[in-house]
Parts: sequence; structure tokens; C-alpha cells
Amino acid sequence: MILNECEDQLMIAYQNGDEEALKGIYILLKPSLYSFIFRYTRDEQLSIDIVQDTFVKLQRYKHKYNPRNGKLKSYLFQIAYRLMITKLNRRKKWRSLLPFLSPIQSEELHHSDRITIREAIAKLPEIQRAAVLLFYYHDMPQEEIAKVLEIPKGTVKSRLHIAIKRLKEELGGDEYEAGSL
Amino acid sequence: MRQDPFNKDHHLCTKLDEYHVDIPDFPMKASRWERFVNFLTSPAKDPLESLISTADGVMLLKVAPIIGTVAWAFIQAFLFL
Repeated sequence: MILNECEDQLMIAYQNGDEEALKGIYILLKPSLYSFIFRYTRDEQLSIDIVQDTFVKLQRYKHKYNPRNGKLKSYLFQIAYRLMITKLNRRKKWRSLLPFLSPIQSEELHHSDRITIREAIAKLPEIQRAAVLLFYYHDMPQEEIAKVLEIPKGTVKSRLHIAIKRLKEELGGDEYEAGSL
Repeated sequence: MRQDPFNKDHHLCTKLDEYHVDIPDFPMKASRWERFVNFLTSPAKDPLESLISTADGVMLLKVAPIIGTVAWAFIQAFLFL
């Protein structure tokens, strides 16, 4: 909570012309933004590009941010999520036109091995993956997730519910039951 | 009050906690040139991979240039002779 207030104060300072405040925002929010995008895409270079583009957009539209409408963290996550979806859609189009351009996946899924949490998250449909990542790893309440993903709160709830069910299934029924006892 | 759908799911939470991400060191801004270089140097799939994996495919790769050259020679012969 204190961290959120700190970020918001830094943003206000930046809006008032303090360029050093932007560095502070970057230091505070870069790790969470990067980890969200990396867990979603599993692509290091793409994640770096999106974090950088997010901060370029923040600088360009710094006066559009209003602390009354929500936290800076949600605002930045919203920008990053939009950029990521646009880039991924563009990439899909290119791959359908030129399939040999697709990058090599560094970690292929090994079906013979027991599935790991990384693979289980990667196998989730995109619409559910974002909700789980924001809720669990970034401690966002459902209202904020709804804002970031631009969907109703009820949809966030149902996506979370289905995603958790799928994760349990993917992580293996037997092992899961044994672990939760 | 916040409803936590992960509540009581200790096993799932333990599994989710295992997923750590190493944050690389990178600047706030990257130049267009750097991005272009990263794009060029990123590893991509080999378009001939499916051919290399079979003996017939390898043979086809060896024979295709010869057939192509012969075909091109014939085309030139018909056009200029």
C-alpha cells in the first residue's frame, strides 16, 4: 500500500516536471511489469521491448494519468497489456504469412515429464492466463484486473475460477490431491 | 472484503510460488537500431528442417539445384537460340 502511494507521488512529481521521479517509477515498477509480461509470453526480448514501450508511452501521455481514476501500477499494467496483445496479434499474422520467421521456443513442453507450473500457466488460454497472473503474482484486486483487462468484474471472477480449475487439472489430479491433504 | 479464490489451495499456491522470474538489467529506452539488431539476431526456425530430417528430403535438397540449373539452361536455350 505504501509502495503504491509512493509510486503515485512520484508520478505527480513527474507530471510537475521532476524528471528524476520517472527513474524512481521505473526502478519501482520495472520488475513487476517485466515479470507479468514474461510469465505471459515466456519471451525475454519481447518482454523487455514491451516494458520499454510502456515507459515511452507513459512519458508521451504523462498528463493523461489521473490518480483519482486508479493507481499508477494499474495504469501502467493496462498500457503494457494493450501493447502486448497488439504485438502478439501482429506476430501471429506475420507467422501465418512467413512461418519460418517463428522464433525457437527455448523451453519445449515435454509431455513425458510431469508438467511444471510454468507449462501449466503457458497452457492456459490467454484470457485466463492474464487474470491469474495479475491476481496471484501482482496482488491485484478483481476490480483492478477488470480495469487492466477492460472486462467486467464478473468476467474476471469466472476466468479466475476456470483458470484455477484448469491449473489443478494440468498439475495432475493424483499429485494435487496428495499435496492438498 | 477481498475474496481469494486461491484460499485453502495450499498446494496450488506452493506450486505457483515456485515460478520465479529473473529480471534482466535493461535501460528504460532502447534505440531503434538495437531493436533491429535484436530482431535480426534472434534465433528462428530452420525452414528446411523437415527436409533435413529424412533421407529423401536430403536427397531432394541435393538434386533440386541441379534440376533447377538444367531447367534454367533449357529456358535460356529456348529464348536465345
